[in-house]
Amino acid sequence: MSLLERIAHPNQAKVWYGEIPIQSRYTVGITGERFFREIKDNGRLWGTRCPHCDLVYIPPRLYCERCFAHLEEWVEVPTTGRVHTFTVVHLDLDGNPLPEPRIIAFIQIDGTDGGLIHDLGEVDPEEVCIGMCVEAVFKDPAERRGSITDIRYFRPVG
Amino acid sequence: MLREVAIVGAGWSGFRSISPDLSYKEMMYEAAVRAYEDAGIDPRRDVDSFVTVAEDFMEGTSIFDEYTPDQLGGALRPNHTITGDGIHGLAAAVMQILTGQFDLVVVEAHSKASNVLTFPHILAYAMDPVYNRPLAFHPYAIAGMEMRRYLAETATPLEACARVVVKNRANALFNPLAAHGANISVEAVLGSDMVAEPLTRLQCADHADGAIVLVVADGATARALTDRPIWIRGIGWANDTHTLESRPWGEASYAYLAAQMAYRTAGIKSPRAEIDFAEIDDTFAYKELQHLEALGFCRPGEAGLWTLEGGTEINGEFPVNPSGGSLGMGHLLDGSGLARVLEVIFQLRGEAGRHQVKDAEVGMAFAWRGVPTTSGAAVILSN
Repeated sequence: MSLLERIAHPNQAKVWYGEIPIQSRYTVGITGERFFREIKDNGRLWGTRCPHCDLVYIPPRLYCERCFAHLEEWVEVPTTGRVHTFTVVHLDLDGNPLPEPRIIAFIQIDGTDGGLIHDLGEVDPEEVCIGMCVEAVFKDPAERRGSITDIRYFRPVG
Repeated sequence: MLREVAIVGAGWSGFRSISPDLSYKEMMYEAAVRAYEDAGIDPRRDVDSFVTVAEDFMEGTSIFDEYTPDQLGGALRPNHTITGDGIHGLAAAVMQILTGQFDLVVVEAHSKASNVLTFPHILAYAMDPVYNRPLAFHPYAIAGMEMRRYLAETATPLEACARVVVKNRANALFNPLAAHGANISVEAVLGSDMVAEPLTRLQCADHADGAIVLVVADGATARALTDRPIWIRGIGWANDTHTLESRPWGEASYAYLAAQMAYRTAGIKSPRAEIDFAEIDDTFAYKELQHLEALGFCRPGEAGLWTLEGGTEINGEFPVNPSGGSLGMGHLLDGSGLARVLEVIFQLRGEAGRHQVKDAEVGMAFAWRGVPTTSGAAVILSN
């Protein structure tokens, strides 16, 4: 037997609401510690290199996702890159329209096989294109706290 | 495969944009009763094991796997809940049968999306907490970026994405289970509100509530239960890297690898010639095109033109999503893949009614787990 009787009136369709406060710590790890310290202290980007695959990882990591080697070689990389792809996002996290749409891009960092997801700034959405050269704009040293948001955004070079 | 495996029963509850009258447990129960009637079995007597697919944050309940047995008739039995898409659950059921320890296994997945009040926040919480999440952008931005790269790499026109929406929502008009059937134009799709450029609102599948239950059996049990089993010829699944910074933005590698695994098991060399139709993930319209190419039904860059020419319509050369897909039926969260499988079963049984594909003998269902994942699963079924 399946459902013999059903709720026939909307005012009988009761709901209960619930929420849970979730708070977590996220250990950034050996590579994350160095990556964010270089951003905070020096405004520089460092990655790790896999000598077997000749890949430079940004963000840096301790292992190669291709060959599974343990990575020990750190390399400083430029704070410039190219827009690999981008979007103009019109909604905030609640699904409401943003007063000012944001340009979010994946920036392939020069000299690496990785990159960073970040905002683009100091540019109109219509001017952005795949392949555009951009550079990281860091917050003032006093404002940095060792976070990806220590980079304000990437802006067109020149 | 080591043993033959078949689907011998299918049941559903839904699918509607809201379901204020039924709890998720009651939807599961309704789907289960239908599936057991369809298979002619008693779950308390006949079923060896139960597999369910669910994700805690979507359910609003932690350790959700504890909540699945009762309404399926699965208490005091082996139960196995996984995260993933429903087709991953089907793969788990197939593996259990292949061990020889289980002959009859039930698979369930569902969506109570209308009870999820903070959906974008849940997706955002799935992003890397250190490198991505502090940027606090709507996670559909990932789809917008992927779509732009896919269109650029394959020279696919925007109109082709819009045609996917027009086709799937029109197909859904003929599907009584579909929540979002509609007659709309390419212009309306492209002119709808911008979500994450070039992705517009009508190119994103709206959600639906519902549940799907399948009864899966080994060959001997299947033949004893029914004279029309739906055979599982091949099944495969794969993940690409989850890292946004090292994934390929233009292509769906996970779909390619999942399909290759399924084709290997099924002995399929030429998918387009050997498979009659497909139900494949269309969470976002461009995904249907990208997945068609990755699954090997056409070459990169061809899916858009094929769609514009009408090749993937119900009466076309290779019908894609005759059910209406997620765009037409409603996206069922982790249940989406089983909704695709359910349609393949209807088609192969000749029970699809006004959206029946002619001469349907072999069909594929393919699921993607949505942003921000790179997780896919494919299954090939035949009658």
